[in-house]
Amino acid sequence: MGEKETIEKLEGLGRKMVGQVKEKKSPTFETPLRSRGNIEYDNAVGFLRLGDKREERRFLNVAQARTFMQTVAVANKTKKFLIEDLHTSIRGLYYQLKFSLGENLDESLFEEQTESNALIEDLEVAMGIKREDLHLTTDRKGVVAGNMIVKDNFAGEEITINCAKQGRSGWMIPSDVDNGMEFVDVKADYVLVVEKDALWQRLNEDKFWKKDNCILITPKGQASRGTRRLIRRLADKGIPVYVFTDCDAWGWYIYWTIKTGSMNLAYLGRDFSIPEARFLGVTMADIEKFGFLKKLTIKAKPIDIKRAEEMMSYPWISAHPEWVKELKKVVKEKRKIEQDALQGKKLTFVGEYIRKKINNKEWLP
Amino acid sequence: MADIFGGFKEYSVAEFFKKNRQMLGFSGKVRSLTTIVHEYVTNSLDAAGEARMHPELEVWVEEVEKNERYKVRVKDNGPGIPENILGKALGMMLAGTKFHRYVQQRGQQGIGAAGCTMYSLISTGQPISVVSRHKGKKVSCKLGIDFKKNKPVLTDVVREDCGPEEHGLDVEGVFADTKYEKGGYGVGEYLKRTAIANPHATIIFNSPEGDRFVYPKSVERLPEKAEEVKPHPLGVGANDLLDIAKAAKGYTRLSAMLQNEFTRVSLNKVKELRDLVPDVNLDMSPSRLTWDDAEKLVVGFRKVKWIAPATDSVIPIGKEQIEKSLVNILNPELVYVTSRPPKIYRGGIPFVVEVGIAYGGDINKEGKGGVVMRFANRAPLLFDAGGCAITQTAKSVEWKRYEIKKFDEEPVAILVNLASVHVPYTSAGKQSVSSEDDVVEEIKNALMEAGRHVQKHLSGKRREREKSTKKKAILRYVGQISGDLAELAGEEKSKKEIEAELQKMISERFE
Repeated sequence: MGEKETIEKLEGLGRKMVGQVKEKKSPTFETPLRSRGNIEYDNAVGFLRLGDKREERRFLNVAQARTFMQTVAVANKTKKFLIEDLHTSIRGLYYQLKFSLGENLDESLFEEQTESNALIEDLEVAMGIKREDLHLTTDRKGVVAGNMIVKDNFAGEEITINCAKQGRSGWMIPSDVDNGMEFVDVKADYVLVVEKDALWQRLNEDKFWKKDNCILITPKGQASRGTRRLIRRLADKGIPVYVFTDCDAWGWYIYWTIKTGSMNLAYLGRDFSIPEARFLGVTMADIEKFGFLKKLTIKAKPIDIKRAEEMMSYPWISAHPEWVKELKKVVKEKRKIEQDALQGKKLTFVGEYIRKKINNKEWLP
Repeated sequence: MADIFGGFKEYSVAEFFKKNRQMLGFSGKVRSLTTIVHEYVTNSLDAAGEARMHPELEVWVEEVEKNERYKVRVKDNGPGIPENILGKALGMMLAGTKFHRYVQQRGQQGIGAAGCTMYSLISTGQPISVVSRHKGKKVSCKLGIDFKKNKPVLTDVVREDCGPEEHGLDVEGVFADTKYEKGGYGVGEYLKRTAIANPHATIIFNSPEGDRFVYPKSVERLPEKAEEVKPHPLGVGANDLLDIAKAAKGYTRLSAMLQNEFTRVSLNKVKELRDLVPDVNLDMSPSRLTWDDAEKLVVGFRKVKWIAPATDSVIPIGKEQIEKSLVNILNPELVYVTSRPPKIYRGGIPFVVEVGIAYGGDINKEGKGGVVMRFANRAPLLFDAGGCAITQTAKSVEWKRYEIKKFDEEPVAILVNLASVHVPYTSAGKQSVSSEDDVVEEIKNALMEAGRHVQKHLSGKRREREKSTKKKAILRYVGQISGDLAELAGEEKSKKEIEAELQKMISERFE
């Protein structure tokens, strides 16, 4: 979303409320409910999103007055960030707004960062804008390498970044890949998302992305907002996305978060989910298929088992018999295996494994 | 009362008195002093009532010997007593004008002022001093009792003429074995409560400490005069029946006496009684009625289905009167008084319960809360609170429900007046009401009615308080949000306008 458009949206919110005041009505703020009861999985679109339940907050309601005032303060402050073209973190925003409401009042506009965090989410979901659009940055996590050229308009300067020329470190995915970012040239047959940085480094050293003409990404665990947006944008160019994680509930859930989004961020909906993503491995079936892996498994902890059982209860996962089969195996065999174990026979086997999987279309939905 | 009456024949009056002083209210030093004041004050209020005038009385209690001997003086503005019956009125036991009369009155026991005279004689050997001004004659004398003959003895009699505008009785005596106390059982509290229940009267109290408490009258209207009514069979006990039989003159048959001396006793009802109580001969002379017969008859009375007595014999203090008097004397923040129709207990005795509740203001200035002031026919009941149905019922109410969280600590005073020709006292001491189911239920209902009213007031106050806190809470955010709203909307200039509008809205909504 363009900055002008975001500013216009924020001003629109302000004008609506000022209008209400002039009509001698309490200013109101309507936002979809973000509680569990209002999160639904839409099979047709393939990601988690919020349902139709909405709540209306009123300034002239004692229970809501403080939050209401804070929401308006956050909206106004971010509007200023946009106008001044400055970015800050949500913690930076909190400090900008942590001031006393008056000399003789023992109350600050914000006391805790948790207060402002929740309101940022409220604004995102109510206005249909992302926090990145409000010039709020998040922690960067995730690295990319591949044939991709990006133009970065930042701090008044345009820089061209070639992701094929980042050497051993790769290009660190920024918190916002939308505002001021332009993907001018992307040449890739597919996107490969590798859970662990160690495996990414392995594949980078093997020049895997060059040989296989792919974009190699590691989210380094759960994918950050920026990484998810980057994958989304690449998928939007029609490039297939494959995900490669540890063989356990946690690794698999990283895949599912990339694919369908998570409960906590269900309000983000489509912008942060990639329903077309496919899962390459590691799977429980692989342990059978690749004999050497049998000896490299680890005993699953009770919490791994519990997590696997939880995942089976999610309708968007249990809808896939392949996944249910895998999860049941975890529960039954109580074993798991790390993606690192693929290097057990020889280091370069990782690349062979991926090629084999893609060529044979051995993926899970 | 049959015992008292019968007692005269066998013992000397003094001996009888000594034996029965407890029954007569002369038990304990503090209670004795309060009883003495009570007897005189009651007489004064009744006398003024009969003469249809506003009672004005002044009471002095002086210390003669600390915690032992006190001088009591009561002066009223009543009609006074003519010399020829002065002795009988103040010096003859059980000769009071109200004995055997079924009128709703305070004392009902008739021991009255003569009992005080006797107490003075027994405890100090001194007669009492009396000044009576009646119809232009002023009589001053000392008044004692010849115990052997149960006859008054007047000495040092001085007769003078006085103006007809001068009238009233002025009695003074010294009483030993007494003690003055400031608390809830003392003369001060007794007079204060008497003033509350008699808003038509002006009462002044001069305490031994030299304090003067003035309770001026708060209503002009005199209480309705209690009509003399015949007793209802359901309202008497065996002793009452014996008293009536002994006092009744000119009846040859008990049946005729019952028909004439009682209300609602018809020829048919007498026939029913004959069948119900075959052991008792209703054709005998009333003078031959024995205690046993009386008891059997009373049991029989309870089995007959009677027409209820007329309820107009019950005279409450009145809603407005109690309201004015509670405001006048307690200066509370809130007063509510119930006004309920007469009810019937024991299947036939009419009574009225009046409950007044006063909250806040000056009530617990002394730091104690939750006072229950009991009255029977306007007379304060100070003693035997624990055994009294009024106290027990008041304690059984869940005051928390009515926003009175801690009854014993909050500034709340409750007045309960039980008005009836037959107040169901627990004992001859007449200081507590017995737990008659119908009476208890009515007291409870009246208390709850009053409670609901207080609750309304208190929850209204709480809401006001909450509203004002809410208002403050929201108002403190107005400055911040107005600035942000104006900037957010890109209408920086309208900040002042937004702020004013919001303040106005909040003030209106949370006023």
